[in-house]
Formats: sequence, C-alpha cells, structure tokens
Amino acid sequence: MEPRLLDDWQGLDLDGLLRYVREVVEDADYPTVRRWRASGGKVVGHFQVYFPEEIAMAAGLLPVKIHGAPIEPRQGDAHFGSYLCSIVKTSLELALSGRLELDMFVSHPICDTARNLAAVWGRNVGYPCEVLYLPQNANSSHSARYLRGEYERLQRGLEAIAGREVSEADLVRAIGVYNENRELLRRLYAIKRTSPWLLGVDEAYVLVALGGRIFREEHNELLRAVIPMIERREATPQDRMRLVLEGGFCEQPPLDLLTTIAQSSYVVDDDLLVGMRFLTDDVPLEGAALDNLAESYLERSTYTPVQHDLRKPKERMLLDRIRSAGAGAAVLCAAKMCEPGLDEQVPYVKALEEEGIPYFVTEFEESMTSFESLQIQLETFIENVLFAEA
Amino acid sequence: MTYYAGVDVGSTYTKAVVVGDDGEIAGRALLKTGFRLAEAASEALESAAAAASLEPGELDYVTTTGYGRFQVSSRQLNVTDLTAAAFGARFLYPQTRTVLDVGGQTMKVSRVDGTGKVVSFRLNDKCAAGTGAFLEKTARYMGFGIEEVGPLASTSRSDVSISGVCAVFAEAEVINHLSQGIAPADIMHGAIASLVSRSVQLMKRAKMEPEHTLIGGILRFETMASLLRESLGGVVNVPSTDDVQHVLALGAALAGRQRHRSVLAGRVHA
Repeated sequence: MEPRLLDDWQGLDLDGLLRYVREVVEDADYPTVRRWRASGGKVVGHFQVYFPEEIAMAAGLLPVKIHGAPIEPRQGDAHFGSYLCSIVKTSLELALSGRLELDMFVSHPICDTARNLAAVWGRNVGYPCEVLYLPQNANSSHSARYLRGEYERLQRGLEAIAGREVSEADLVRAIGVYNENRELLRRLYAIKRTSPWLLGVDEAYVLVALGGRIFREEHNELLRAVIPMIERREATPQDRMRLVLEGGFCEQPPLDLLTTIAQSSYVVDDDLLVGMRFLTDDVPLEGAALDNLAESYLERSTYTPVQHDLRKPKERMLLDRIRSAGAGAAVLCAAKMCEPGLDEQVPYVKALEEEGIPYFVTEFEESMTSFESLQIQLETFIENVLFAEA
Repeated sequence: MTYYAGVDVGSTYTKAVVVGDDGEIAGRALLKTGFRLAEAASEALESAAAAASLEPGELDYVTTTGYGRFQVSSRQLNVTDLTAAAFGARFLYPQTRTVLDVGGQTMKVSRVDGTGKVVSFRLNDKCAAGTGAFLEKTARYMGFGIEEVGPLASTSRSDVSISGVCAVFAEAEVINHLSQGIAPADIMHGAIASLVSRSVQLMKRAKMEPEHTLIGGILRFETMASLLRESLGGVVNVPSTDDVQHVLALGAALAGRQRHRSVLAGRVHA
C-alpha cells in the first residue's frame, strides 16, 4: 500500500471523522501533499475536469486534483483578467503563493481560459507544465487510438518526473485500486439517492474531495470504514424536496453554500467533482491498460459541459439523472464567468420546461461568503413547488 | 383530531401555535428567544401544546419558520418566513396579495398570487433602520422600554422628522430634538413615521397589490398600523393584537397541515 498521508482517524466517530475530512479538504495549505513531499515523494497536480490518475499512481506519483480554493488570488489576479472565472486564478495562486508545491502540472483545453492555464503556469514555475488533449470528437473511430497516444505521451512525462518506467503490471494494479474507489463512490452516491437524510450534500462532497489529496488506497480504506457508519447513522427523514444540483463540474461552490442548500433540501445527485466519478463502470483489467483507460473514457463515462459527445446530449443526460435519482426539481448553478456552464443552462432550461420539471437557476463564485439571499430564494422556490403539489 | 404545530423562532421572540384540522388556533405561546434557539423553540412548543391540552408527543406534524427554523430537531418541515406569512395571512384574509412583516430585526414584503404562491419578495438591508430594533433604540435613548413605544406614540400631538437612515445616527437626532424641548411622544411618533416610510418603499419595490396584510410584532403598535393604512389606502388588514405576532407560526402550522394531508393522500412522497 502507498503511504498514509492522513492523521490517525480510526478512533473517530462519524461526526468527528467528517469534521476531520472537512478540515483536510478546506486546508488550502494541502497538509497531505506537504507530508508526502517531506518524505521525498513527488506530486503531479492536474486541473479540472478529468485526468487519468491511474497513470500517475502507477508511476509512484501522488496525483492531486486542483479545483481552486477559497483564497484571495493576490498574484493570480495579475495573470488573468477580471472577466475570467475565479478557479483559474485561485488555482494558480496555490502554486505562486507556495501553498501547493508540485513536480508537474497538467491542464486540459476544456475552455478558452483553461487552455491557456498550463502556459501561464509554466512561465512562473520551474517544473514541467503540460496540456493533456482529450479528444474533442468522441465519436470518431480514431478517438480511442488518438487518446491512447495522448496517454502514452502523458506516461512518458510522468516517468521522467518519477525517474522510473511504468510497467503494465503497475498500471493494472493502479486501475484495480481506482476501480474499487469508483465502486465505493458509487455506494456513497447510492446512499444519497436512497436515504439522503443520512448524508448531506456537503458531507458527501468532502468525502469525495478527500480522494483528490491522498492516495486512493488510503481513500478506499477510509470510505470502506465510513460508509457502514453512514448507513448506521441515526437520522430522522424530514419532509424535504429531492433535488439534483447541476453546475459543479469545474469551479466548486463554497462548502458553506452546499451546507445552506442541504439545510432545506435533499440533494440526491449532483455533478460536483464529477471528474473523480467520470468513469461510470470498472475499467477492464484484462488487455492493454492504456487502451482500456482510453476506451472507458469514451464508452463508459458520464457527461459534463466540457465534453462533447453526440451520443450523450447533456440535456437528456440531466433528465436521466433527475429521473433515476427520483428528484422533483433541479438547481442549475453556474460559476460566474464560466462560459461552458452558462451555455449549457440554455438547453437544460429548455428541456426542463418541456418536461415540466421545476428548476431554479443561480450563479456562484468560490469566494462568496454571504448565502442568505440565495438561501431564501432557493427555499421559497422549493416551498412553491412543495405546496403546488398538494 | 389531527394537530399541527407551527413554531416561529424569531430573532427577538419565539412564537408557537397549535391548530386542529379546521385550522382554528387551539393553543399558542410567546416567549423571548434569547441565545438558545432550540430551547426556546422547545419551550414554546410545549407551552402551546399545553394550552391546547396536549402533550408535545401528541402533535402530528411540526413545521418551523423564522430565523431559527433549522434549530428545531423535532420538526418535520421548515418553511421560510415568506411562505409562512403567505399561508397565515391568506387564512385570515383570503384576498391578501401583499404581506408586510415587520419584526424585531427584519422587514419583509412578499407578493402572493391567488393560489398563495409567493411570486416576488423584498427584504430590508442588513440594517436596523427598517426594523423594530430602530424603534427600540429610539425609545431606549429616551429612557423608555419597547412595550412603552405604542402608548407613548399614541399621545403625540405634533410630528417631528427622524431621518431613519441609521439607527445609530438616530441617537444624535433624538438627543438634538430632546435638547430643543420636543416631547418624547412626538419623537417616538416621528420614528414610527420613518419606519412606515421605509416599509412603503420596500412594498413598492415588491410591486405591491391590494389587499395588503400587515403582520409582525411592530404592528401591535396602533400608530404604526394607522400610519400605514393612511399611506397605502385601499383594503389594509391588520390582525388583532393577540394574533399579529402569531401569524407566521399560524402560517407554518397551516403549511404543515397542507403538506401532511398531501403526504397522507399519497399525492406526494415525503
């Protein structure tokens, strides 16, 4: 097993454990990464949305998911205009302020802003910064072969950082660990769907987000322990609206915003940190590992506004998500200045209106600190729906 | 008989109401909220249940509202002040289209449609100037308590202007008026007139429509109600002094009654 990077959490009860996980996730100084680097370990940071962490783990590197932070982008602001989203600025701030030390950074051209991130990042740090080009056209017969080529290029870069070659056995072992992680995260989300009073959207979020800061074996160990504790939790179901929350695929809403939403509704499904749950099924362990990873990305994956796959119209996928979760309404939130997220609201709204599904549209920013207005708007929306049902 | 409780955990007072199937009030309670919101809610609930000759365990459905609505672990449902106000006001005055709720620390206006749905609302800024706290501070500067505001203002003989821009700056205005020999009753009347002016501004922003229903603890002061009636014109409903502070609790109980019936009827799942 890879090194443990968390403090000893085994003796904690559920509430204590959730508090501890939240502290780790909210700590913009990345204590787990510091611990790993202090032991001589190397770190690859990757920007939203999806990254094949299995390859990094196979190389013995700690993959760290970078999704902004609730910090003031003092230096980040100097590199990106005010008309751009917050997440690129706070992510860069993590590096420039020395909070997050990396050995390699990887970004993806998911939008106009993010496609320049690796270049800007690379001009200001002393380690390699790469762009991983995931296929723009997921429907071409050449997409899988192309993506495998990109994964091979990525692997070579990671091997150079790690100072060793990655074997097929390394990859298969890593895929096995991530398959278990995917299964555990599916179980976590199943609890949200079937017994949402047992697990708030904010609590589920921190449990998922933790996986972006430690090795997945340790994450698996913690999830294996915490899921039965959640299932045994004593909590009384309340009469609340079941919602799907859509819009957290890249920049993440502040945790306090999620807590606010959780006070008045049950969020039974969402796309928060969806990149960590992007592959919806196990990656096969038989056959060439990189081929399997590439094929899974194309054939066994969910949807986001930054992946364009004609087989997965996003509005239809959203309706499926709402129906399969038994939700009565949707909350469509987009990060301020997020073009893909805001664009996608148009077909989402059209589809929801055609289907007669109530929806609530709002915007957020990771640095926002006042939620009263949004809370009362959301609650009033929920109550109008609840009492219109009668 | 099925019993429904509504608890309004306000920033200053906590109110509880128990209603039966017919919606008529079977028991009520009112106490200072203090710092322990959950305890205040629990105590109010027990008192209201006792007034209805019930044990708290005999309440079939508990709905909370107000500032501390999330603090009551025994609740089945929580609703915003806006929804509770809509239910309560429309139960008392079915033609209500605009509700003004002036409480100790908030002022809210909601516009409701013919079905009771809240279609728009406006809240005051984070400022005491548009709330009961403004009147309380003004009274305190002059050595009076909040309960003396109504009787004091009712003896006013001539109005004086209080800007009402800020509860803190109002102190200087009050001291200035007192030093000029102006009667405290006239200053209190001026402070209420200032609050009325702010209320009407907020109602205009919410695109108010008649009938208007005025609720909240500050409406128990007759001067406030009469000045608002003059400003608004048309049909202006003000519940009795006994009811005016309990409208949110009543509305919460009635919202719970509607929801509970829908759940029992299987029209919705809880």
